[in-house]
Amino acid sequence: MNAKLKETILNPIFKGNPITVLVLGICSSLAVTVTLKGALVMALSVIVVCGISSLILSLLRNTIPGRVRIIVQLVVVAMMVILVDQILKSFEATYAIDKQLSVYIGLIITNCIVMGRIEAFALGNKPWPSFLDGVANGAGYGLILLIVAFFRELLGSGTLFGIDILNRFGYVPNNLVILPPFALILLGCIVWVQRSIQKDLQEK
Amino acid sequence: MNTNNNVYTIIYTTVIVVVVAALLAFVSQSLKGKQEANEKADTISQMLTAAQFGTKAEFQKQGNAAVLAKYAEEIGEAFLINENGEKVADLPLDQVLSPKELKRQNYNIKGGANKTGDAAIPVFKFKNGKTVVPIYGAGLWGPVWGYIAFEDDLKTIAGAYFDHESETAGLGAKIKDDPTFQAEFVGEKPDFSGAKVFEIVKGGSPKEADGSETIDNKIDAITGATMTSNGLTDAINVWLTAYAKYFQGAAPAEKECCGEDCEGECEGEECDNKEVEE
Repeated sequence: MNAKLKETILNPIFKGNPITVLVLGICSSLAVTVTLKGALVMALSVIVVCGISSLILSLLRNTIPGRVRIIVQLVVVAMMVILVDQILKSFEATYAIDKQLSVYIGLIITNCIVMGRIEAFALGNKPWPSFLDGVANGAGYGLILLIVAFFRELLGSGTLFGIDILNRFGYVPNNLVILPPFALILLGCIVWVQRSIQKDLQEK
Repeated sequence: MNTNNNVYTIIYTTVIVVVVAALLAFVSQSLKGKQEANEKADTISQMLTAAQFGTKAEFQKQGNAAVLAKYAEEIGEAFLINENGEKVADLPLDQVLSPKELKRQNYNIKGGANKTGDAAIPVFKFKNGKTVVPIYGAGLWGPVWGYIAFEDDLKTIAGAYFDHESETAGLGAKIKDDPTFQAEFVGEKPDFSGAKVFEIVKGGSPKEADGSETIDNKIDAITGATMTSNGLTDAINVWLTAYAKYFQGAAPAEKECCGEDCEGECEGEECDNKEVEE
């Protein structure tokens, strides 16, 4: 694997993370991070949608008429989102979690990361790097989701993946943590940590 | 090749939309059976949870097949009733009503513009004497629905389970996720003669002098979820009112109060007194 491909994969995970650096996909990261399980399924869904849409559109990139390219992108992304939703609904194991995430799976289509990466990367690059870029951006998004969900589920419900951790010690779950504003506070803290490590992101 | 001319653009978009639509239609059709099976098993496990055959988490662990088997084993009778509380049609024992169907019935009960026909609401009687009825209404962000199980006297609530589409996780969603909220319903008696059949209000009703829960038609609402609690109260009131006539008609007659020696003279309170005296 050459250095450029490696950069494509590693950059979105930390240095160019879609949530903390590009500040994309904030809405859904506030909504689905109440439980770790929900965040995990959401993260995997975004990885699949992002990766495969990037791949398809990169394959089509030379044939897409410039004037309707956004519409073509939308059609492909929407198709992927509906496919993921339908498949989640069809398995016994994922049916309950799909029900819990309800509209947010469908709303992946409005997640700026997907369209953003297609527009910025997939339409100008070969299929394989585009696919990796989509997957890596989905993973970068998912990583932040899991970090936020870890704290929210632990402090808000006293559990992790539904398994009781704190409640047995008499912990009283904090309702503020459950509410979306707390996710924003946590995100702020993550951005703070990242910028103190990565000094070049700091504004002078 | 010029990808910007009009004919090309129109043909290109048409082809892509048709291909995507065909693919989605195919996938949707081929997965439909599985999805409906999942929904049905989910609905059945909610009814079984309401009737206290186990907890929702247990049923989820056991899987669809076990849930269906348990239901087939326990269900005694299922039928539809009209607004006068009369039985109008039998339901096949393996059929339950999906939330979509409940939504339609909800419009029919309430009347108004969305009414599609006469209300025909289901009653599910289990072999152990419990009767389960559904409720449906509007929560804060979307519909809420659920199942309430009654003891065989059709007056006392034996259990309840609620579900929702998009109530706030950790607050309104507790109607589904918090077993202690659902447990509050157990033993309460809806008041079919009063202004409100059932109420979910702040604080519920004061406890009895000895600290035990009062048996009445009020339970404590969920902190931070007033709108969901109110919505659920409305849903329960609308639906239980629709069942009121059936409950009154089908409730077992009060026990014969007097022995052989009272020769049919006794009625009502007199009899009760007599029995106490004896």
